[in-house]
Amino acid sequence: MVLSIRDLQAGYSGKTILQQVSFSVERGELVSLVGPNGAGKSTLLKTIRGLLPALQGKIFLQGKDITKLSEREFARRAGYLQQQMQVPFAYTVRQIVQTGRYPYLHWWQQAGKQDEEIVRACLSYTGALDFLDCPVQELSGGQQQRVYLAKILAQQTPILLLDEPATGLDLIYQEEIFRFCRELCAAGRTIVMVVHELSLAARFSSRLLLLSQGKVLADGKPEQVLTPELLTKAYGAPIAVKENPLTGHMDIYTTGSRRQDERQARLLQAVLGREVTE
Amino acid sequence: MRRYGIIVLVLGVCLAVAGILSLSWGQMKIPFLHVVAGLAQGMELPFLTQVPVPADEMAVIWHIRLPRTIVGLLTGAGLGISGAVLQGIFANQLADPGIIGVSSGASVGAVLAIATGAAGVTMFALPVGALVGALAAVGLTVAMAWRHGRIPVMTLLLSGVVVGMFLAAFSAAVLTLLDVNKLQEYLFWTIGGLDYRRWEHVLLGIGPILGSAVVMLLLARQLNVLVLGDNEARAVGMAVKRYRLLLLVLASLATAASVCISGNIGFVGLVVPHMMRLIIGPDHRRLLPASLLAGAAFLVLCDAIGRVIVPGCEIRVGIMTAFVGTPYFLYLLRRYQRSLD
Repeated sequence: MVLSIRDLQAGYSGKTILQQVSFSVERGELVSLVGPNGAGKSTLLKTIRGLLPALQGKIFLQGKDITKLSEREFARRAGYLQQQMQVPFAYTVRQIVQTGRYPYLHWWQQAGKQDEEIVRACLSYTGALDFLDCPVQELSGGQQQRVYLAKILAQQTPILLLDEPATGLDLIYQEEIFRFCRELCAAGRTIVMVVHELSLAARFSSRLLLLSQGKVLADGKPEQVLTPELLTKAYGAPIAVKENPLTGHMDIYTTGSRRQDERQARLLQAVLGREVTE
Repeated sequence: MRRYGIIVLVLGVCLAVAGILSLSWGQMKIPFLHVVAGLAQGMELPFLTQVPVPADEMAVIWHIRLPRTIVGLLTGAGLGISGAVLQGIFANQLADPGIIGVSSGASVGAVLAIATGAAGVTMFALPVGALVGALAAVGLTVAMAWRHGRIPVMTLLLSGVVVGMFLAAFSAAVLTLLDVNKLQEYLFWTIGGLDYRRWEHVLLGIGPILGSAVVMLLLARQLNVLVLGDNEARAVGMAVKRYRLLLLVLASLATAASVCISGNIGFVGLVVPHMMRLIIGPDHRRLLPASLLAGAAFLVLCDAIGRVIVPGCEIRVGIMTAFVGTPYFLYLLRRYQRSLD
């Protein structure tokens, strides 16, 4: 067992966000955390990485209690890609990816030849080697994400925790990120990530965890989790799931009620500054 | 890499030129050859022994201008590197050594040394008072920002501003009680200058400035990671609080020691790192050495120019750096505004 969470309660001081969360992840699994905004997906990921302290319960990485890991040891076991990374100043791609080597260097050491080779290998794997000496700020969103992925690959950890790695990217980049993840898991890495696009999560993940209001509502294979009943309950709105006969992928969409439609139509008239007719 | 080597070489040459100009220019003009020969003979180096250097020139070089120049080099280097480190810690290119209360703390220390009359008793009272005041102000700033074992950057910035304002008000309150002579003494101190610097000033500043500069240079790689923010730095295994505090203390110490031996000198800690970042980029492994060299060269050059620009009158280095720094800063501001359009 690579990751094991027991009866976790987490959140910020004075505000509990997650409750009674328990699950374990085996080596090579690609687990996507899905659920509505505010369900606690990012909080869960941050707590697993130790960036937020657990209020109650325990988290074990490769059998070891995370509160007993030193910062360096932790960074050698789990990589963490944060949501919407911001790079101040004009740091180049190489300098950013080099920071992934931090947990392997003592404080007096500088990055050596071997580190440089790893940096280059990771960048060529994600297809960003051409930008080696470009400032990260000048790259497009999709290219930046390739760089940040290379950075946490350079950290060479068995576990990767990714917070919305594909959100806001073009379709091609989105699928590319998911393909990288699937490939890495097939090679023995374990990935836990937050995903918003349900159909993409269904296509690429080996397992989904549906969170709602701070609790795990469902845990299992994509087709077991993405049912109309569970999604309707999680998102609080009527949701339908259909398998697309052409692609074999799942189509997931909301089915609004008629009464609501009428109300919306009236409100729209008000927004447009027209007379509201009853 | 080769470009960086050339830049360092150029900075080194600038530093040497600034140093020689500073030893040569002033009320008594000393030819360059005599400057170099005087230095070599004073250190009993085996070259230029045949060049005759008059005794009065020898005395001016060794007793007046060399300590003054070395104090300038130390101050410039200390302000340059700590400015770069603070801009890194705050991930903000407008941060300068004043931002965490160092300058205003030093002013309070200085004004107290003058008000109590201690400055009249020994020449060390003023610099030591400034040093103590500066370090106390930084301690107060950090203590105010410390929450739940963390030092959030934004809180640190705000508490620095608050502490600075409070201490400025405190200095002003003490000043209203002082007589004209003491007011003048304080006024001269606030406009940093290098006149009448002696070997004692060198001895006072060399330890803290060089010591903290060396450690800051060694921690440049860590600073690169720290700049990316708390979560990112912890994600790669950095003990964020420890390094942030350590770098903050080192930068404060270097700044405080600089202020202590030459008074408040603005713009060096702000403009020099900024300029270097534009030329060689934000990687602190290169930025810190370059800021150190450029700061030293810039300050000593400003001081040398200040001695000769108006004949028969000496313009203090704190005024010179502001005169040179302000237009450059305005230029940067305009450029930044244009990039927003």
